[in-house]
Amino acid sequence: MKNIETRHWTFLGLFVCIGLVMLIDVKLDIPVSAQTRKMFDFIDSLPAGSVLMVSFDHEASSLPEIRPIGLVILRHAFAKGHRLIGVALLAEGTVIGYRLMQKTAAEYGREYGQDYVYLGFKPQYIAAILSMGESIPRTFPQDYLGRPYEQFDLLRDVDNYDDVAAVISVTDGSLTTHWMEYGGARYGVRVLSGMTAAMVTTFDPYVASGQMHSLVAGLRGAAEYERLINREVGGERGMLAQTTAHLYVIALVLLGNLIYFRSRRKRKSA
Amino acid sequence: MSDPATIIAGLLTLAILSFLYRDNPIYKMAESLLIGVSIGYTLVIVWTSTLMDLLFKPLFSDGQYALMLPLVLGLLMFGRFLAKTSSLSRIPIAVMIGSGAGVAIPVMLEARTLKQMSATVTPLVIESGFPDLSAIVVIAGVLTTLSYFYFSREHKGTLGKSAKIGTYFLMIFFGATFGYTVMSRMSTFIGRMEFLLTEFLHLSG
Repeated sequence: MKNIETRHWTFLGLFVCIGLVMLIDVKLDIPVSAQTRKMFDFIDSLPAGSVLMVSFDHEASSLPEIRPIGLVILRHAFAKGHRLIGVALLAEGTVIGYRLMQKTAAEYGREYGQDYVYLGFKPQYIAAILSMGESIPRTFPQDYLGRPYEQFDLLRDVDNYDDVAAVISVTDGSLTTHWMEYGGARYGVRVLSGMTAAMVTTFDPYVASGQMHSLVAGLRGAAEYERLINREVGGERGMLAQTTAHLYVIALVLLGNLIYFRSRRKRKSA
Repeated sequence: MSDPATIIAGLLTLAILSFLYRDNPIYKMAESLLIGVSIGYTLVIVWTSTLMDLLFKPLFSDGQYALMLPLVLGLLMFGRFLAKTSSLSRIPIAVMIGSGAGVAIPVMLEARTLKQMSATVTPLVIESGFPDLSAIVVIAGVLTTLSYFYFSREHKGTLGKSAKIGTYFLMIFFGATFGYTVMSRMSTFIGRMEFLLTEFLHLSG
């Protein structure tokens, strides 16, 4: 016990708080934000069969936060009968994106080649975004599994961004900025994003200026979206843990300040 | 009973979390494994999707000899490893910087500056005649924050007051960013806890 420091108790407290809360099956009543509603409305309003490009622009380390966001977006798109083209502009996102698309497509009985195609990874994201603006088949002559582009019914009428209703960048970094700058500003493709909460303040100004159509951010965004599509992917469940963790952090901040001011007063009076 | 992949993932998660107690060989092993697997995976992806698909196959199988140019430029990058040939690597670097800047400057000027500026300049009064509080806060935030970064004059008088207000806006931004980052990190931790409790330990549905 002599090696136990204050930080260990702090971590242990967080473990216990989150662990206990996750064992309780309670869901919070989460109001849907305007941003999440906007993305939902956009995907919902597209005519069935519209082509959406989903770009998995993230690393494996952000999977716990990215996965629920990706799932709700894919589920909504498949449920509405949209056709999806998956790409990845970061190497680590490649197989994650493929698996998420496979999983959600199977849930809705969607067929590979007809309803969705995964084109895989392309290095040098700026060059890839620009190149797809000219020609997607030239950028991706083959899909992720090495089959020729023209083999797929879905891709027959898709040549560049003009044939895509929107690009949805699922990201944990600033890669969506390049989608806006090169895909949006140069080729006029509509850009939406599902992102980690840490990126919200970076992208909010772009939403305000209209360069980004809408965004779904973090576990909370996923929970809001879950509510809209009536499908559970772990977001709502995670929000109770999230709220408890935040309350725990606030309690620690207050406690830390209390101890600080008390010790300061003692020092002054001594 | 969990499948082997879940058991491995669960044990590795616990190994990484053991760092919260203190640095230890199990954590180091998991960390090294993560780095090794990440690099190995990225190398394979880059080899297949970049070198094979974009260079070697088109060049040697399809006879696209124009690709000799990027191949040579790429090879020149390796000149850095020897003192005698290190200057050769400047050629591909110059090509990359030159073409990169050429592509990026007009687009970034448009997207990051002009469009964002035009979005800042919105009517301060809405149709009903009431002031648009949001637009006023935005314009005040932009002008005062810019004044904080104006270093050609000493921050005194009106400029000093404006710069001071600008720092408040900056602090609000930093605070919001920090808050969101905490939220993001907590989400990652919650995601792993959920994995441990449901898929690994089967303690929760």
